[in-house]
Amino acid sequence: MINLAYKDIKYSLLKFIVTAMGVGMLFGIVLIMIGVYRGMVTDAQVMLDDIGADLWIVQEDTLGPFAESSRIHEDLKNTLKAQSAIDKTAAMAFLNLQVETPGGVMKRVYSVGYDPHGEICAINPKRLVEGRVLQKSHYEMVTSYKLGFKPGDKIRMGRNVYTVVGVTKGAVSSGGDPVIYVSLKDAQELQFLYSNARIRNDRARGLNVQADNHLVNAVVATLKPGYDVNKAADSIRRWKHLGVFTGEEQRELLTKNVIETASKQIGMFTVILIAVAIIIVALIIYTMTLEKMKEISIMKLVGLPNGAILKMIVQETMVMGILAFIFGNLFAHAIWDKFPKRVVLLTSDAWGLFGVVVAASVLSSLFAVYKAIKADPRSAIG
Amino acid sequence: MSDVGIKVEGLTKIFGSGDTEVRILEDASLEVKKGEFAALVAPSGAGKTTLLMMLGCVERPTGGKIWLGDELVWDENRWSIPDTRRIRREKLGFIFQAHYLIPFLNIIENVKLIPLTNGWSEKRAEKKAMELLEYFDIGDKREAMPRQLSGGQNQRAAIARALSNEPQIILADEPTAALDMTRAVNVVKMLRKIVEEQNVAIIMVTHDERLLPYCDKILAIENRKVVTKTQVPKGFV
Repeated sequence: MINLAYKDIKYSLLKFIVTAMGVGMLFGIVLIMIGVYRGMVTDAQVMLDDIGADLWIVQEDTLGPFAESSRIHEDLKNTLKAQSAIDKTAAMAFLNLQVETPGGVMKRVYSVGYDPHGEICAINPKRLVEGRVLQKSHYEMVTSYKLGFKPGDKIRMGRNVYTVVGVTKGAVSSGGDPVIYVSLKDAQELQFLYSNARIRNDRARGLNVQADNHLVNAVVATLKPGYDVNKAADSIRRWKHLGVFTGEEQRELLTKNVIETASKQIGMFTVILIAVAIIIVALIIYTMTLEKMKEISIMKLVGLPNGAILKMIVQETMVMGILAFIFGNLFAHAIWDKFPKRVVLLTSDAWGLFGVVVAASVLSSLFAVYKAIKADPRSAIG
Repeated sequence: MSDVGIKVEGLTKIFGSGDTEVRILEDASLEVKKGEFAALVAPSGAGKTTLLMMLGCVERPTGGKIWLGDELVWDENRWSIPDTRRIRREKLGFIFQAHYLIPFLNIIENVKLIPLTNGWSEKRAEKKAMELLEYFDIGDKREAMPRQLSGGQNQRAAIARALSNEPQIILADEPTAALDMTRAVNVVKMLRKIVEEQNVAIIMVTHDERLLPYCDKILAIENRKVVTKTQVPKGFV
């Protein structure tokens, strides 16, 4: 039997491919949108994974240090060691900064301060693509490759000039901003050290806020093997009057609280985009069928059964859907790394979209099939 | 097996109702035997094409009976067969004023389409199609698309398509209207030959008096009835 769909596609091949490419670009954008959402979730967890802490100890009654502001004393890292479950501890400071890149553009960065001589290093060595981690207590910095610095470059931040000693790739904050690493002491100065005029003013008011800047945003800890993380967290909450989150709780805070609104926004946009894509595919299939109404009427007039005509429409729709899916994937993979923030293209998402494309194509073809069934063979000669 | 090709009794066709009612045929009857070539003549708008469409199981009559061969296909107010398209592809061959070939199929595929749909083997359908294309002198155009052929070549391909399923009946609606006189006569001669060789019944709508000598009988629509004429009434063609 002659495959009518194949013959029709072959007859208007260029038009068919261009249409499939157009639909494919639409699906590509849907894939990218899903990738942006996935990227946000991934970004939110990068820092947690890099630090690898079992416990996050923060100011009591806060959801710090990422979801809410938190300030605790740096020496808590030592006090916590009295707990039998605690293995290693480290005090850390986090803050947002603006840094001028070598290109002269001000970029928002997320600064992580940790003690280079401490027990827990905030930098994941796998992310280090150039140079080394921090080794000195002052004026060294590890930056992100996204900022364009190279080891040896000098950067002014606050009152001091920092030397770039290393470059990482893929380290980002929960908001997707590139991360820079400085020593804890430098981070504390950047966060808590006021200008000389402000200090003088505070002293005149009887305040001595600068007397203690040994504050940090969180202390992280790892546990000794065999200890239960929840019991250790409960113990610290009860006896030390601190806020404590397990690694998993902190992960949930980041993915649910911190990026929830943004991810919902992206998710909503993705859903709308999928709906629009389905409508456009439906319209294209419907228009393609309308263009063939004369031929369909002739086929009916000479006695071709509905089955053969419907098979042609559904097969063409499926080929259009599959081609669009392939073009969409090619398009998405060609442009994903041009986006400023992380885009994560997962095979599972692509297959999920394929399911949606197939379902949408079949659904779309139903309108066309209905039109074909209703076609009047008399109109062929009208 | 009777020698009935097409038989119609008391056929009525009314379009619309009330003030907009138009009566096309009223209690019309006709018969064309197998191996008979009938011309159907009538002024424009008299219902020639409508009659052909009813005989082709495309248009629903309002009343009457239609037999195609021995099969009663319309019985007063309903099709007496479940699938009218099966009748069209198995028993009938249609030829129209324009060729109405499917543009995305080449010539031989257009000719093979219905036999293959009827369950013929690819080999048998190919052989039959080539025989017909050779017969109509367009065998060398078998791979050409309809847009690549002239009007006359396409019309011959359309006639080949109409004959490809070895029909018992051919319904031709002004098949020569788009052709010059020489080609028109050739087409009608071909139909004449098919009638004689394959014992089919043909009804051909025409406005061309010069083609009538090739037909066995002349049917005319007069006062909403089909009558047999020996001579074409004035103004009918």
